[in-house]
Amino acid sequence: MDTQEQELEDIELFQKHVSDRFTELSSPPEDDALLSVSWLHRLLDVFLCCEAEFEAILIMDRDPSQLSKPPFDRLIPEFIERAVKALDICNAVANGVDSVRHCQKLSEIVISALDQNPLGDGHAKRAKKALLMLLSAMNLDDKEGTHVKATERSWSFGRRGVNKEQIAGHFRSLSWQVAKNWSSAKQIQSMIYNLVAPRGAEASGLPSPIYTMNVIMIFVMWALVAAIPCQERNGLPTHFPVPKQLNWAHSLIGLQEKIADEWKKKEKKGMSGLLDELQKMEKLAQSLIDFTDSFHFPGDAEKVKEAAVNVSELKEIFGRMDQGLTPLQMHIREVFHRIVRSRTEFLDVLEKGSAPVL
Amino acid sequence: MDGCQSGVPTYEGDLHVVAAAHHIVKALGATKNLSDDLRKILIDLDSHLSMITSNIDSKGGRGLVDVEERLDQAERKIMRWETDPMMIWDSGPKEASDYLEAVDETGKLVDGLRGLSVHENRKQKEILHRAMNIFQTAMSRLEEELIHILVRHGQQFEPKNMYSRSIRKDIVYDESFVSVEDEPTKETSSQNCSNDESGECIVDLVHADVIPDIKSIAKVMFTSNYGPEFCEAFISVQKEALEQYFSFLGTENLSIEDVLKMEWTCLSSKMNKWTWSMKIIVRVYLASEKQLCDQVLGGLGSVSSYCFLEISKATILCLLNFGEAVAMGPHRPEKLLRLLDMYETLADLLRDIDTLFSEEAGSFIQLQFHELLERLGESAIAAFKAFRVAISSNGSLYPFAGGGVHPLNKYVMNYIRMFPEYWNTLNLLLKNQHPGVADQVTKPDYGPDTSLLTSCPMAYHLRSITSCLESNLHKKSQLYKDEALQHIFLMNNIHYLVQKVKGSELRLFFGDEWIRKHNAMFQQHAMNYERATWSSVVSFLKDNNPGSSSMLKSTFKERCKGFSIAFEEVYKTQTSWSIPDPQLREDLQISTSLKVVLAYRTFLGRNLAYTDEKCVKHTVEHVENSLLDLFGGSSRSLRNSRRW
Repeated sequence: MDTQEQELEDIELFQKHVSDRFTELSSPPEDDALLSVSWLHRLLDVFLCCEAEFEAILIMDRDPSQLSKPPFDRLIPEFIERAVKALDICNAVANGVDSVRHCQKLSEIVISALDQNPLGDGHAKRAKKALLMLLSAMNLDDKEGTHVKATERSWSFGRRGVNKEQIAGHFRSLSWQVAKNWSSAKQIQSMIYNLVAPRGAEASGLPSPIYTMNVIMIFVMWALVAAIPCQERNGLPTHFPVPKQLNWAHSLIGLQEKIADEWKKKEKKGMSGLLDELQKMEKLAQSLIDFTDSFHFPGDAEKVKEAAVNVSELKEIFGRMDQGLTPLQMHIREVFHRIVRSRTEFLDVLEKGSAPVL
Repeated sequence: MDGCQSGVPTYEGDLHVVAAAHHIVKALGATKNLSDDLRKILIDLDSHLSMITSNIDSKGGRGLVDVEERLDQAERKIMRWETDPMMIWDSGPKEASDYLEAVDETGKLVDGLRGLSVHENRKQKEILHRAMNIFQTAMSRLEEELIHILVRHGQQFEPKNMYSRSIRKDIVYDESFVSVEDEPTKETSSQNCSNDESGECIVDLVHADVIPDIKSIAKVMFTSNYGPEFCEAFISVQKEALEQYFSFLGTENLSIEDVLKMEWTCLSSKMNKWTWSMKIIVRVYLASEKQLCDQVLGGLGSVSSYCFLEISKATILCLLNFGEAVAMGPHRPEKLLRLLDMYETLADLLRDIDTLFSEEAGSFIQLQFHELLERLGESAIAAFKAFRVAISSNGSLYPFAGGGVHPLNKYVMNYIRMFPEYWNTLNLLLKNQHPGVADQVTKPDYGPDTSLLTSCPMAYHLRSITSCLESNLHKKSQLYKDEALQHIFLMNNIHYLVQKVKGSELRLFFGDEWIRKHNAMFQQHAMNYERATWSSVVSFLKDNNPGSSSMLKSTFKERCKGFSIAFEEVYKTQTSWSIPDPQLREDLQISTSLKVVLAYRTFLGRNLAYTDEKCVKHTVEHVENSLLDLFGGSSRSLRNSRRW
């Protein structure tokens, strides 16, 4: 079989794998709800697998000069540019995971406060304080300038007497920002810009897997941004210009639409991440706040029971976060490094391919 | 909760204990071989237990009243602060310790009441509930007090006292080779820490006097299971302080995209800032922060390192990120020195980083920085290689006007003049890169001159760089049509090369042999110039018949004219040439003068009879003086001396 045919076969296989992997992601088992921590792990794995195959097709055993000729002299640098943008998103999301871990820490206080028998007013107060901080941590508008400094909390410097329950924010770290004026939404937008599916002859050649990989990279980054709160997600695009006829894209598009729907729903209410555990935590926090608000010792037996159920659910979520969040950060770092390496590989190829004959 | 004595009489709990104790005593008493001492102890114990039992029974009802009284007292002490605008710890040590006592008392009461059996009465439940509420209020208050203390007594230190910025000359590599001025490099030492350079400089991030206060609050909160609240408050204040300081240092977050696109002068100053900030943050601030965490939270297990990690993570990752972005960037030659700065700084700081982030949770930070070091090293080598390539490929279309020192020469020599400062690092990196190549690179055939410095990898590479430069200069010289100018150009440039080497630490690496060889080179070019220019001119003054006294008048006129024209031509052309180095210029003028003036004087002397003729346009003095005008850089034409 000559190299041309081999190449076509490889491309087909690659796209079949892509399709399979995303189909798997679309129908997660019970524990692995869409956009849960463990689902995100699987998404990142899918990215790494696809990327490895992609690099193999494009670079292995290939004459570098081939990739310096049109249309690759445009397609490859574009891919590399998108890869760089993806790197910044990886960093933003990894920082975002830290804020989710912060929520986890706060929920620990809530659990500790409410997991008491008998439950007293003091416990309820403790829980309520932590719940307020938790809710504001989750719904903090990730715009710049809306963080409340710890030093400005109204309880210090003698400005006492203010109802402590009114204190809204918790401190949002300055270096949580990727950069001043950086926006994850705009970043995704600029990655989508100029993304055009190959047509005609190009559609059956190497430009095709390049396009596929671009789409995968954008999708993965987009899903991460939707799930994990990070800098400035306002205006996150919800539509990808991926033609529906592409066979390999069906599951991916399906996933994208599902997530986009969720996003649109949540956008109206507030901006917490779509991370499954965060969503559940938010709901529980809301009902627990209502509970602690209306609680007076010894409290309504029914309500106390309900609260206990919520607390045990919260415990479960806490457990999942406790186990999965740090590994998630590591996983994102792994993806980060892979993208860096891949970029270097492609830059090398371009350099070799365009080196003048000495 | 802490397993402390409850201090509260318990009913059934105690009764059970007492009953169990009685059993044990009876069982022990029944054993045969009891010593007298042991028997005595058992009898004592028995009577004690009986007393306790009767006490319990009698005190049964009264116990609760005591408890309530104690709670009332504690409540007063605690709740009075809720309406007081002052902060407790601002009001004095007695207030603070009173408060903590009251909190402690409340805690004991809670524990004791909790230990009572399930069948307690309603009154008991009420008291317990009240106690827990008061306790919660106190805990909440302690959290506020903690934040207040940290903020009020937090201290910032002046970075300038720690490390003075190392001001290394910024060389701008401009595609068009704007000539770099030969200024002496302003290099101030980069270390000025008041403490020993290799060690940390610990400062008090929080006033030392309040540390015990913070510790006492920590103790109370942690033993009451309010540790998470303590951590939350502590971390948020300290983290904010660190990040404020970080931006006060002038470092800002930059996205990787920004860094990759950044223009060189801007990037250069940010790289400089990074090396400076790293030292201050790691060696001073974080070391101090870690100490603070240990002071306050030491003895509470892994809490101290957890808090430290949470406080410092974002800042240190920000620094890491910049480093990674730089290492990713295009490795152009002008970046070399800054990359070496970053490399050296990080290599120095690695041990500190390892110490700071030694626990498992922080180990990934260690790892990332180790990896970054490697990548910075690779980037530095890539920039180094690119430097050579840039030299070779620097082509010229037109000859360099005037034949002076070419900007490429200036740039390269001024640049490599800085390399000796980094020689250790460069050697390390070069050695790792090409373990065997050091042999392949120009091995000096300089026999006995193989001192350590002249034979180290950096020396090889330096000589290789200069030989690359020389080749390029030779190529450039070929652009001149005038052979004499070629030689002037090469003379100027090689002379410059040698001067730069001799006048800096480069001489240690190039060695005396190299210097000698290159001295000879430019002198050779000087001689070649003389031959090329003046041979033909002086040939007019040659005496073909050494024996005879003089030549024919016509011959004399011809020769005179020929000489004048030739001389004027040379004058016109070569006044526009340039020899920038004054000493070199003078030397060449003297040497030329010796030849030409002597020949002219001799020529005129031989033909004295004709010297008043009009054809002798120039006096010897005039020729002599005119020679001094050569190589001035601007074209002039010669006036007849006779007109004056």
